[in-house]
Amino acid sequence: MSTAMNFGTKSFQPRPPDKGSFPLDHFGECKSFKEKFMKCLRDNNFENALCRNQSKEYLECRMNRQLMAQESLKKLGFGDLIDGKSEARNES
Amino acid sequence: MGGLWRPGCRGVVFCGWRWSHPGSPARAAERVEAFLRPGWNGTGDAEWGLRRLGTWKRTGPRARDRAVQPPWRPKSTNPFTRAQEEDWRRRNKTVLTYVVAAAVGMLGASYAAVPLYRLYCQTTGLGGSAVAGHASDQIENMVPVKDRIIKVTFNADVHASLQWNFRPQQTEIYVVPGETALAFYKAKNPTDKPVIGISTYNVVPFEAGQYFNKIQCFCFEEQRLNPQEEVDMPVFFYIDPEFAEDPKMVNVDLITLSYTFFEAKEGYKLPVPGYN
Repeated sequence: MSTAMNFGTKSFQPRPPDKGSFPLDHFGECKSFKEKFMKCLRDNNFENALCRNQSKEYLECRMNRQLMAQESLKKLGFGDLIDGKSEARNES
Repeated sequence: MGGLWRPGCRGVVFCGWRWSHPGSPARAAERVEAFLRPGWNGTGDAEWGLRRLGTWKRTGPRARDRAVQPPWRPKSTNPFTRAQEEDWRRRNKTVLTYVVAAAVGMLGASYAAVPLYRLYCQTTGLGGSAVAGHASDQIENMVPVKDRIIKVTFNADVHASLQWNFRPQQTEIYVVPGETALAFYKAKNPTDKPVIGISTYNVVPFEAGQYFNKIQCFCFEEQRLNPQEEVDMPVFFYIDPEFAEDPKMVNVDLITLSYTFFEAKEGYKLPVPGYN
């Protein structure tokens, strides 16, 4: 929270997240996906662009286990990854 | 017995001397301007003074006569213009009524606007954040700005009364605007009792905070940790692609996301943004 007591400056107004809050993963059901994602990040010098597949898989895991509301991956910004996947499938 | 009793004036001779002797103080008081005398009631007396000079005809009712109005009579004697005058008077009255009604209507509308706007927000689901561009269709269509790399660092804080171990699982992550990113925090409850925490966040620098959009996170809702439990808390966010077009953000390459956990006690009101 912004506790800067500056007279006259605007204080930060936190906004609620668009889709609400993640339910807690009490049983660690998606922990392996998280570990894969973290490993990818560490290997790639923490660049997010290279690890988007792993983050997509983590979110898919959450959705499958009722830990996240079902949402099409396009709406989560993974539209290009889905197309890439289907293209690879068509080619192979 | 009649006549005016003049106070303080016993001897006629003496009074006369007081009133008429030039240079005496009483005479000086007489020479003081009218507006400096006590009992001056504003410029109305100017009117009175002018009237006394005879330059102002006594037309129209005086102030005290205004309560009793003489009945309105048309000014002209010609019957045609008299009818016209009456007609004008009637039209003026109508127009005046309309204007007053409009003014009252405006006043009422300004009072009614508050509940009406609230109703509008409820029906359209905007919920107070009537800002375009926070919808999920924006995420679908946004194009990452690949040449603008931003480093996002993570910070985790805990209020003194909350005994959790709360820390980020990565110190930084490199993202570009328009690309969704995932980050993790870890929280552990080392005590033997279940503890409920609630968190809020802060983004530094302040101006970049408006571009930092969280799709889903773990903030603003009570999170319960059982004794000795450790959980991963993800944050799914993106930076608005308009960040790259804002001239004020040209030099911003580092954004810090800071989460603070508080203990959620009964009746504890965290200043969370409107969630209804």
